[in-house]
Amino acid sequence: MKIRHILLILTAFLGVALLVAVALQIRDELREYQTAKRMAASNTVREQLLLGTDALESERSQTYVRLIGQGKEAGALELREVRRQVDDLLNTAEREIVAAGGGLTNTDRSLATLSRIHREIETLREQADGFLRPADGMRSEEFAPRWFQEATRLVGELQSSRMTILQQERPLDPVLRTEANLRAFAAILSESIARNQALMSRALASPSSVGSLEIDAISQNAGRAELAWELIDGQLTVPLSESVRESVARTHENYSTTFAPLQKSMLAALLGKVPPSLGPEEWYGLTEMALGNIALMQRELLRSSRERLEAELSRARRSVALWSVLLLLGAAAVLVSILVVRRRVVRPLEGLSHAMLRLADNDLETPLPRSSRGDEIGEMNDALRVFKANAIQRQRTQNEKQVLHARLREAYGQLQKDLEAAAVIQRTMLPPSSRLDGVEYHGLFRPSSHIAGDTYNVVRRTDGSVGFFQVDVAGHGAAAALVSVACHHTLSQAILTRTQGTPLEEIAVQINEEWPEDLPYFTMILGEIDPRSRRASIIQAGHPSPLVIRSDGAVEVIGEGGFPVGMLPAASYDRLEFDLDPGDRLFIYSDGLVEAEGQDGEQFSEGRLRTLVREAAADPSSVLLGRLDDVLRNWRGSETLDDDLSVLMLERLAERIPANAVH
Amino acid sequence: MLSTDLRDNILVVRVEEKRIDASKAPAFKDEMTRCIDSGQNQIVLDLSYVDFVDSSGLGALVSCLKRLGPRGSLAVAGATGAVSRLFTLTRMDRVFVLHPNVDAAVEQLSA
Repeated sequence: MKIRHILLILTAFLGVALLVAVALQIRDELREYQTAKRMAASNTVREQLLLGTDALESERSQTYVRLIGQGKEAGALELREVRRQVDDLLNTAEREIVAAGGGLTNTDRSLATLSRIHREIETLREQADGFLRPADGMRSEEFAPRWFQEATRLVGELQSSRMTILQQERPLDPVLRTEANLRAFAAILSESIARNQALMSRALASPSSVGSLEIDAISQNAGRAELAWELIDGQLTVPLSESVRESVARTHENYSTTFAPLQKSMLAALLGKVPPSLGPEEWYGLTEMALGNIALMQRELLRSSRERLEAELSRARRSVALWSVLLLLGAAAVLVSILVVRRRVVRPLEGLSHAMLRLADNDLETPLPRSSRGDEIGEMNDALRVFKANAIQRQRTQNEKQVLHARLREAYGQLQKDLEAAAVIQRTMLPPSSRLDGVEYHGLFRPSSHIAGDTYNVVRRTDGSVGFFQVDVAGHGAAAALVSVACHHTLSQAILTRTQGTPLEEIAVQINEEWPEDLPYFTMILGEIDPRSRRASIIQAGHPSPLVIRSDGAVEVIGEGGFPVGMLPAASYDRLEFDLDPGDRLFIYSDGLVEAEGQDGEQFSEGRLRTLVREAAADPSSVLLGRLDDVLRNWRGSETLDDDLSVLMLERLAERIPANAVH
Repeated sequence: MLSTDLRDNILVVRVEEKRIDASKAPAFKDEMTRCIDSGQNQIVLDLSYVDFVDSSGLGALVSCLKRLGPRGSLAVAGATGAVSRLFTLTRMDRVFVLHPNVDAAVEQLSA
C-alpha cells in the first residue's frame, strides 16, 4: 500500500469516526426531542381531560340540582353552556390524541375509551332531559340519585383514563412528576367538593328528610378532601416554581378559612337536626367559588407544566439543530481535510514518485512537477531538480566520452593500419632466403611491435664480393624503425657505391661522422665475403659479437666490441678478418635475442645461445633458425617480445671457383 | 629513481633501479640533467644496484656525458655483469672512467 493511500484512508477514517460520533449524539438528541414531544402531547391530552373532568363534574352538579327541582329556569342556559364545554374539551382531547399520532402509546385504546365515555354521557343526558320535561316533574327526583351515580362513574372513568395516559408517559423530571401528582390530588379534591356540592344541595333543600347514609357520604367526601390536601402538602418538598407554590398555599388557605369551616358547620347542623344557616342555592354558589379557586390552582399547575415541557421541547430542538450544524461542519471539515491532503500531499507525492521513476529509467525528458513550496515536498522537488540536472550533465559527459572514445578508436585503428602497412613494407625491404655467388643466407626477423628498429641486408657488389649488414637502432618502435630504414638505405648504398679498395672501416667512420646528432645511434655488423678468397671481414660497431659455426660443428665468437654509430663523432673502427671456409656459417644477431627475458626475468644469455647453436650445428640454417625461434617462444612463454629481434645467417657454399677467378 | 650524496665536493648519484631501459631512460636522463645543470662538475654515477642497461639507457648515459662537456668528469662506479659487458662491447669503457666502487671513484676524482 502506498503512503498516499494510507494518508487518504487515515484521513477518511478519522473523518468517518468523527461523523459517526456526531451522528450518534444527534440520534440521542433526536430521541430526547421525541420524548419531550411525546411528553408535551401527553400533557396536552391530560390537560384537556382534566378540564373536561372538571366540566363534567360541574354538569353533574347542575343537572342533579335541576333534577331535584332546585334549579331555576334560567339555569337551563348555563347547563347547555357547561355541556358544550364538556363536549368541546373531550373532542379537543380526542383531536390531540389523533394529532400526536404514534407519539403516544395505546392511542387506539384511549380513543375508544373516550368515545365510549362520550357516548355514555350523551345517553345519560338524554335520559336526564327526558325526566326534566315539565310533565315528569315528580319522577325526575327519583332519577336524580341514578344520574349522580352514573355521572360520578363517568367522572371516575375519565380520571382513570387520564391516569392511564399519565402512567404510560410518566415524566422523569421530578418537578413535572410532582406537578402531575399535584394535579391528580387536586382533581380528587375537586371531585370531593363537587360531589358534596350536589349532595349537600339536596340535603339543605329538605334537611329533615336527610338520611344517615347521605350524611355519611357527605362526611366521607369531606374527609377525602382533607386527605387530598394532606397529599398535596406532602408533595411540596420538591423545589417547585414560586408561582405554583404561592397558588397552592393561597388555595389551601382559602379552603381552610372559608369552605372547610362552612362545610363542617353544615354537617354539624344536619347531624344535630338544627336548621342550617344556609339554603341550597347559597351553598351551591359558595361551593362553586371553592371549585373555582381549585380550578385556578389547577390552571397554574397546568401552565407551569406546559411551560416546562415547552422549554424542554425547545431545548431539545435547539440541541438537535446545534448537533446537526456540527455534523455539517464536521462533514465539511472532513471533506476539506481530504481535499487538502489530496492536493498538498497526495498529488505532489504522486508527481514526485512518477518523476523519480522516470528519471531512474533514464528518461531525462520527463518534466518535473512545478513547485515553489518551502516545505518538505518543495525540498524534495528541489533535490529532484538537482538530480535531474546532474543526470543530464552526466549523460552529456558520457556522450562526449563516447564520442571521444569512438574518435580514439578510429585514430587507433588508423594508426594500427598504418603500422601494419609499414610492417609489410619493412618486411619487403629484408632480403628473402637466397644464395648469391656461393653465399647462402637466411634471416629471422621478429619486431617487438609491428615495425622494428632492426634491419639487415645482403647485397652483391659489381666486383663479385657479397656485402651484408645487420643494424639495431637504439630503442624500438616507430622512431627506431624509421631510423632503421635510413640505415638500411645508407648502408646498402655505401656497399654498392664503395670504390674498390676502400676499406670497410672507412664506410663506418664516414657514416658515424655524418650521422645527425639528433637521431638515435645504432649498433651494427657491417661485413663482406670475398668469393674469390676464403676470407671474410666485419666491422663490429657496438653490436653483439657474431658467431662462426664451422663446418665441423665448432662455434667461435668473433670480435670484442666497438663504438656504436652516431654516438661519438670521433669514434674509430677496426676491421676483423677471419677465415670462412666452405660450409662455415656466420651467425649475426641483435641484442634482443640474448636479452630476451623469461617469465622469471632471467635473460636468454649468450651462453644459452652458444649451447643451442652448438647442438644444432649440424642442421641446415633454416632449420636452426626455426628451432631457435621455437626455443625463444618457449623461453618467453608468450608470442611477444620486449625488444626487436633479428638474426642473419650467411653460409659459404662449397662451390666451384667461379670462371672469372681462373684468370 | 636517483639518490644523491655530496662527498668531498663530488656528487655521488646512486641509481635506485634494477634496470635502465627504454621505459626508465627518459626519467633517468631528466634527473641527471638537473644534477648537472645545478653546477656539479664532478659526478660519480653509482651503478652497483643496476643489473641491466639497454641501448636507450646507454644513449641516456652518453648524452649526460656530452652535457657535462669537457669541464667536468663523469665517473662510473660499481658496474658489473651485463652492465660491465655492455660497456666493453660498446667501447664505453674507453669513454667513461670505470671504478670498482664509489670510494675508489671519489678518491680518484679528488686526487
